[in-house]
Amino acid sequence: MLANQPSLTLYLLPLLQRLWPGFLPGLYRASLLSQQWQTPDMLLLTLKVSGRWPGFVPGQHIVLTLKHNGRYLSRPFSICSSLKRWQSQRQIQLCCKINSIGEFTPLLAQLPDNSLLNISQAQGDFYWQQPALPAVFIAAGSGITPIAAMLLSQRHWLAPVSLYYRVRGQENAALLSELEQLAARQPLFSLQLSDSCTTPSATLQQQVIANAASKQFFLCGPAAFMAQIRAALVSSGVDAASIQQEQFGLAMPALPTVTSDSPTLTGHFIRAGISKAVTLNPQQSLLQNAEQHQLSPQFGCRIGVCFQCVCDKVSGQVRDIRTGSLSGHGVEQIQLCVSQPVTELVIKL
Amino acid sequence: MKLSTEQFNALEQALNGVKHQVKQQLGDADARYIRRVFLVQRLSALSGRVLMVLGFITPWLWLLGVLLLALAKILDNMEIGHNVLHGQYDWMNDPVLHSKRFEWDIACDAGSWQRTHNFEHHTYTNIIGKDRDFGYGLLRLSNDFRWRLRNLWQGGTYLVLSMLFQWGVSYHELAAQRVFAGNKKADRHSQVTDSQLKKAFFGKGARQLLKDYLFFPLIAGPMWLWVLTGNLLANLIRNLWTSTVIFCGHFTKEVQVFSAAECEGESRGQWYYRQMLGSSNFTGPTWLHILTGHLSCQIEHHLFPDIPARHYPAMAKQVQAIAEEFAIPYNSGSFIRQYSTVFWRILRYSLPGGKTALKLTS
Repeated sequence: MLANQPSLTLYLLPLLQRLWPGFLPGLYRASLLSQQWQTPDMLLLTLKVSGRWPGFVPGQHIVLTLKHNGRYLSRPFSICSSLKRWQSQRQIQLCCKINSIGEFTPLLAQLPDNSLLNISQAQGDFYWQQPALPAVFIAAGSGITPIAAMLLSQRHWLAPVSLYYRVRGQENAALLSELEQLAARQPLFSLQLSDSCTTPSATLQQQVIANAASKQFFLCGPAAFMAQIRAALVSSGVDAASIQQEQFGLAMPALPTVTSDSPTLTGHFIRAGISKAVTLNPQQSLLQNAEQHQLSPQFGCRIGVCFQCVCDKVSGQVRDIRTGSLSGHGVEQIQLCVSQPVTELVIKL
Repeated sequence: MKLSTEQFNALEQALNGVKHQVKQQLGDADARYIRRVFLVQRLSALSGRVLMVLGFITPWLWLLGVLLLALAKILDNMEIGHNVLHGQYDWMNDPVLHSKRFEWDIACDAGSWQRTHNFEHHTYTNIIGKDRDFGYGLLRLSNDFRWRLRNLWQGGTYLVLSMLFQWGVSYHELAAQRVFAGNKKADRHSQVTDSQLKKAFFGKGARQLLKDYLFFPLIAGPMWLWVLTGNLLANLIRNLWTSTVIFCGHFTKEVQVFSAAECEGESRGQWYYRQMLGSSNFTGPTWLHILTGHLSCQIEHHLFPDIPARHYPAMAKQVQAIAEEFAIPYNSGSFIRQYSTVFWRILRYSLPGGKTALKLTS
């Protein structure tokens, strides 16, 4: 209060950053030990994390923050390394898909060794709660990362576990050698690679359904892939409650009623006291809309995880991109990155 | 002096070009610069407060402490606060240096400042009746205001306002909304209610008073009176300096004022034109620019309020060339010269008569 900032740490931030380069309040420091290409587009980052970092449950993700050209940028990534690696060496690994036209991931490939990065606390509820029960893991593409952490962290194997790993060609299978080694030394674990270039997805579904009785399921991959598998499992009689899944990225569902002659929406963004009226694109998130009009809203993970882009909506209605649910019309707080405009809006950035 | 529609459009193009060019190169250098100023500000605030207590060794240490705290408050308010609250550094996505989060070491609440300054003053610059910063409802600075007896001693009013400037600024929005006195104006709309205004005014004001006149004197123990006096002096120095800088930006002799009817439905080019005529610069070395928060380049600040201010001196050269090309007066001079004309204006209009608002159209 005395410092006119929410906390003394924020008041002293420039001094603290001078003492501890890379210090950011609420986040933990991590230094980059090495980068290694797992596949042509998957980069394995090994990070040495701060001793203050409270740890993780295999399957959880962190939000990674880096500073590029004066800006702080963040994205969430699942931890793909084992719990043991963190416990014994304070190291975690992230296996990141590098999107060459993206804003964030290409920067990861250019980071020099020993770069200082920031990570958040581990978050997410995708983890293996009852390892004593037989389980089936189904991963596609970069969806292998949280599942690899779960499997590689497992010490006492009590029940049979199988992993179906769907990739486009074996050269695109990240973390494959570690999983193969695990399969070789652990008789209760079986690994089945499913190549989408040679095997149709129907075959994979049949394999999965064939021995689905009384098992837990863990899915991670693109939204469409998971929806397909889930539907197949449920229709074969698997209890939906025994299926857990983690989604990567943000799937923008096509709006049911948007046509070319639907009315254009106007949004009034109030930033630093000034209101600016802009035409909103209802197909995009409010974050993207605001950025396209150079309004520099605050942002973080961009998929609704980190709550940095929370803003006051003064009036108007928005749709939650993840669930499709509609907001009220009055004053409330919304996350810009997962909100699409439905009506005219007034928003305080 | 009047421009045609085509000329206004050409002016808009030219100034947009200047802005675009700088926007393209924003990055690491700007981030490093503002973080360095931020570090210097924190160091001078902390060392200033410590040195004041060490005044028992020699009063010179106390004096140095007062000056350092005054410097800290000036940097916080001008180069950091004013510019951050304009959103000049929002692109950095920084946890502190962001228009949504920053709060400054001054009695005025940051949100209230953004409404009265960023919106009202920057949108309606020098429009009589719309920009309440023109005279702050206290001073008669053009013949568009009816002369009243109290204007006779407005030279004294100005000095008092300068000394208490932070309180004038923090009360500004409440005065406009007639929260405590006067009849509500029907044409005034506000994003906030009167009770929110009162809460922000008393909350922030009380925090500032507690900090400078209770908390720090108390923890100084036997040096409490020295610390209290030192804080009072540091606030006074900051008030006089900020008020002086701001008066030099809009109330110099050659600055023009406008009538509301003239400015209705104006184009961006006309808005740019009005900002150029309604502001004035003063020249000086780099340290002076930094102490003013680069408001020494008030013209460039009014043309490009959300461009990081360290670019203004370089932009000023381009803007001055554009002004010359379009034969628009470019009001600049030494600090002493500009400030003496501010005094002239305050004293001139304490008497009846004088010039009225500029006609933009014939």
